[in-house]
Amino acid sequence: MKKHMIISVMSKDRPGIIASITGAIYHLGGDLADLNQTVLCGYLTMILSASFDLHVTKEDLVAAISHIKTDSKFEVSIKELSVSGDNGAELPPTETYILTVQGPNKAGIVHGISQFCFDRNINILDLATTLKNNQYTMALQLDLRKCSLGLENLQKELDDYSRQSDLTVMIQHNDIFQVTHEISMP
Amino acid sequence: MLRSDQILATVEMIQKENLDVRTVTMGLNLLDCRGGNIDQTCEKIRNKIQSYAGNFVATCEAMSRKYGIPVVNKRIAVTPIAFVGAGFNREDFVRLAITLDEAATAVGVDILGGFSAQVEKGMTATDREFIASIPAALAATTKICASINIATTQKGINMDALAMMGKTVKDLAEMTADQCGFGAAKFVVFCNQPGDNPFMAGAIHGLEEAEAVLNVGVSGPGVIARALERLIHNHPAPGTLQLDELAEEIKQTTFRVTRCGELIGRAVSLSLGIEFGVVDLSLAPTPTIGDSVGEIFKILGVDVIGAPGSTAILAMLNDAVKKGGIFASKTVGGLSGAFIPVMEDAMLAEAVGNGSLCLEKLEAMTCVCSVGLDMVAIPGSVDADTISAIIADEMAIGVVNCKTTAARLIPVPGKEAGDYVSFGGLFGASPIMPIRNVGMSSRFIAWGGRMPAPVHSFKN
Repeated sequence: MKKHMIISVMSKDRPGIIASITGAIYHLGGDLADLNQTVLCGYLTMILSASFDLHVTKEDLVAAISHIKTDSKFEVSIKELSVSGDNGAELPPTETYILTVQGPNKAGIVHGISQFCFDRNINILDLATTLKNNQYTMALQLDLRKCSLGLENLQKELDDYSRQSDLTVMIQHNDIFQVTHEISMP
Repeated sequence: MLRSDQILATVEMIQKENLDVRTVTMGLNLLDCRGGNIDQTCEKIRNKIQSYAGNFVATCEAMSRKYGIPVVNKRIAVTPIAFVGAGFNREDFVRLAITLDEAATAVGVDILGGFSAQVEKGMTATDREFIASIPAALAATTKICASINIATTQKGINMDALAMMGKTVKDLAEMTADQCGFGAAKFVVFCNQPGDNPFMAGAIHGLEEAEAVLNVGVSGPGVIARALERLIHNHPAPGTLQLDELAEEIKQTTFRVTRCGELIGRAVSLSLGIEFGVVDLSLAPTPTIGDSVGEIFKILGVDVIGAPGSTAILAMLNDAVKKGGIFASKTVGGLSGAFIPVMEDAMLAEAVGNGSLCLEKLEAMTCVCSVGLDMVAIPGSVDADTISAIIADEMAIGVVNCKTTAARLIPVPGKEAGDYVSFGGLFGASPIMPIRNVGMSSRFIAWGGRMPAPVHSFKN
């Protein structure tokens, strides 16, 4: 029997952060399952999923990470998942949609569109934004499984939102992007 | 997830550049519909089309909504009707055409092709009756398209059938004179006609095909034109962009366009439980501004379409389209190349109007692209033999070059060179193309018989 932990770490970016953190997990006998990391404005944040023997505690892991020698402190948060094997994760959706939002930069674009999604029970799986020449572009990968609107109604509501917010908002099936940019077909 | 710039490139392509799936065409075998008499045959045809294609249009529309890509046309192609109606007379064939028209209307498709015969070597008594029925059949129906294959590289040209083609084209135009000869726009004469082409007017369900099959025609000249413009815009300094890089851009863009067709085709096929046939990679223009093949000539460097260099540009375009599309699709077929249908392409029509594009240059251009002299409006006064002779030249190009060629000429009753004709919608509009040397080919057409097949060796 193993216990699963989700570990989140933020720190000023420098070479060696991933080596140090995964080293701490390794020395506690942990098995790293997945890792996702990104750097924004010189700060690195990562989220890791790992499994440990039952005797390893959150405190052991925090201690191991705090012993890493570093100039800037790691901000760590750890969540221990129940042992039952129910790790809380749903199966990933078989179909996703890509929402693109473009327009001149202003405050509240991300909030507006994410609130739009929340109000309609749409889960955002991934989100990327870019700001170039004062044009703000956002691409969101969406899971529509829990959204009770049909695609057509959603499209209409997006058109309304597009007009009200003065943003160009488009939704397309993820497969379209995959087939036009990847060698293999879904 | 994909990168944002990739996502945006695709969004541009779909939302702003006229990317669509031009047609999903269901090919359907009707050979088993021959009944003991014409009534039974009509009944069987009606039932078969209803049972296979009843949900076809709704399924295409559902997939179009799901993926956010328009499927412009939903069509049916059937076994060449001269085979299905063996032994019937010309009146029976007109009834078959009306039945097909009604069945097509009942299932909601835009057009039905396959009112056709294949007579490249010889004609049976049925074939002659069938050909004689074409003018009345097309005048009595709205959704039916007819085609005749009169030549192949293997068999040469059937000159007896060829002589009948000029007359058929004239009769078609005259029977539909109140619609400016529109009947002739639904009839095309072929050399090396493919059995899996989803585009009209030449779609058939060839004898070599399975019971039912779905073929997809992708298009996208607008998408390619915009991609080329962007590339040129991003390389403003002279000498920084060469023709091979432009060809590469066409290839990559075609890959993307084809992939969208492949995706929709597979989805419709899966949903209907009907085998997916081929993707036809043709660049088919529409009269919509920004959806023109003619425009690509200008982008690639000739100031007017038809200027020296036009044939070379078309050869490169045609080849780049094939290269990009063949890798994108599991199975490619049909015509797969660039179309230059004059009336359906606003820029080509304009070139005819200002005199830069003449019939002879158009004919030269058909040597390096698919499909041939397509949707060319000519004076109504041109005689049947001259029309047959123009078709003969086009057939010879196909026979010798081992490629599909076709002729869809519309002798517009009461109009002369420089006049203007418009059919509206996807069929478009154009000035009437002047024809030189009218009435000078009758002795050639009168020979009849066959033009022998060329040698298939000694190809220097």
